[in-house]
Amino acid sequence: MLLLKNIAKDFSDGREKRRVLFPTSLECRAGELTVLSGPSGSGKTTLLSIIGLVLTPSEGQMFIDDLEVTALSDVEAATIRLKRYGFVFQQAMLVEGLTILDNVMLSFAIQGEKPPADSFEKASALLKTLGLEGTAQMQPRLLSGGMKQRASIARALIKDPPILLCDEPTSALDAESGQVVMETLKRIAIEENRVVIVVSHDARVFPFADRLIQLESGIITSDTRESNQEEKEIIHASH
Amino acid sequence: MRSYVALRMVLHDRSSTTGALLGVIAIVFLVGQQLSILFGLLNYMSVLVDHSGADAWITSENVRNSDASGLISGRYADRVMGLDDVEWAEPMLISNGLFRTKDGSYESVRVVGTKRPRLAGGAWEFFAADQDAMLDRESVTVDRLDLEKLGNPRVGDITEIGGQQVRIGAITNGARGFQGTLVFASLDKVSDIARTPPGRYSAILVRFKESADKQAALERLRAILPERSVHSAAGLSNLTRTYYFTTTGIGGSFGFSTVIAVLIGVVIISLTMYTSVLGRVKDFAVMRAIGARKLDIALVVISEAMIIAGIGVFIGFVLLSVLLNATNGSSIPSFLPSEVPALLAIGTILISLMGSLIALRVAVKAEPASVFH
Repeated sequence: MLLLKNIAKDFSDGREKRRVLFPTSLECRAGELTVLSGPSGSGKTTLLSIIGLVLTPSEGQMFIDDLEVTALSDVEAATIRLKRYGFVFQQAMLVEGLTILDNVMLSFAIQGEKPPADSFEKASALLKTLGLEGTAQMQPRLLSGGMKQRASIARALIKDPPILLCDEPTSALDAESGQVVMETLKRIAIEENRVVIVVSHDARVFPFADRLIQLESGIITSDTRESNQEEKEIIHASH
Repeated sequence: MRSYVALRMVLHDRSSTTGALLGVIAIVFLVGQQLSILFGLLNYMSVLVDHSGADAWITSENVRNSDASGLISGRYADRVMGLDDVEWAEPMLISNGLFRTKDGSYESVRVVGTKRPRLAGGAWEFFAADQDAMLDRESVTVDRLDLEKLGNPRVGDITEIGGQQVRIGAITNGARGFQGTLVFASLDKVSDIARTPPGRYSAILVRFKESADKQAALERLRAILPERSVHSAAGLSNLTRTYYFTTTGIGGSFGFSTVIAVLIGVVIISLTMYTSVLGRVKDFAVMRAIGARKLDIALVVISEAMIIAGIGVFIGFVLLSVLLNATNGSSIPSFLPSEVPALLAIGTILISLMGSLIALRVAVKAEPASVFH
């Protein structure tokens, strides 16, 4: 479980401090696909970056299960990202020169860790599950955009992370490929009981959301759960 | 595994890898070639001492190089021979002379007179005829590399040096001095050419017995002779090399060209690795986002530099060995002592790492947050 308590973020250009995310509290559960949506500049990517431990909040606290991860050192944050997170980016961002299999195994390679004996079979199985059978030894440039994005999902899942963060995973894809990717993410959230958070302003992903959070100008303006369709309008006192 | 990622990147980024490789090869080849000429010249400087077969040299006092000894008394040899440690002591006379070529022109030569029959300090390698030919008072040698310059004399030809008639008795192989063409002759003939007083020589060469403690023997020589006229052969060789190295501008000249070669290499390596890393910033940011520490990114970049340096050093040495083989036996001085290639390889790898420092700074600064839009 992921818990944010009054998380806020300010950016400064040296002269002026600008608040891009107002105090936000959020609890994300395993087995649920959460979509963070909103217009450009609404703060959704900032929120995702804080959740992903690549940006430190200016205020508030953040917990993964009972572990506080608000102000970790660079090395601690990297290690937690490696062990507990999977990332899917807007572009697949596979490393050219490495084969698809090497890319999937990258999170083992990157801290000099020896991959477990069964990891290669697991990577092959993941690729097969994601419809990428036969691509293991191919270079990323030979794959279509949708295939690359699915390969990046395999990369994100190779270490069985409890949390999967996806930044606009369908925006660079055609409708059909986007649908396949979202179906995969939905299945991962429900069947594999993971916290899956997707940032997107693409309305086509909303039907896949178990929970849809709308942001505007750094504030959560609506938080809807599919199960009860109950919408909570959250008005922040600070706004 | 980080080195595997680095290897894959090096193999994939062919243009930048080629550029960086050229930098490394340039360092190995240019510096290696400069050093081989420098060591070749250093060998020329002390060639007479190094090939003399003597353990000690007695010269005039306070000499600064083996070519600039004043005349000393031949009686030093008699005094030295009285010591138990000494196997032999032989005089040597070095002077300049003008060699008359077939067409009547003259070439300046360095004439080295050695005493028959031992001929200590004389020619050590022959291209035509042999040591026996030098037992004749009138015989002189010329070197294979100087034949053209001296008008292509042949064994048996008669000519003049310093107005004295000589006969070409043998042709040496690679006997060259820093001051020019070396001509070996008998002591008496050189004495005639140089018009030196009888019993006066440039040096006395001393060989100790096998059983002798050489350092102690040197001290005993110093005790019975003017102290600053006795040198170990190795000491005089170093003294001579240092003298020429520091006073002729060779040190500065080779030092400068070596520094330039290193700088060119470093600039090429720096620029190409920097460009390569710039093209990979997004990849490094992705690696950081999925859990790489700055140290991990640094290790990837360092591994890339090491891989390129390793391959470059190998290719550089192959090219250098081709060059050295091609110039071996030619008039171009070239020699690499056995320890130099290892030092050059280590130095080049360190330089390559230095060249990758700018790229390293860029790579570790790759911001993981930049991968989110």
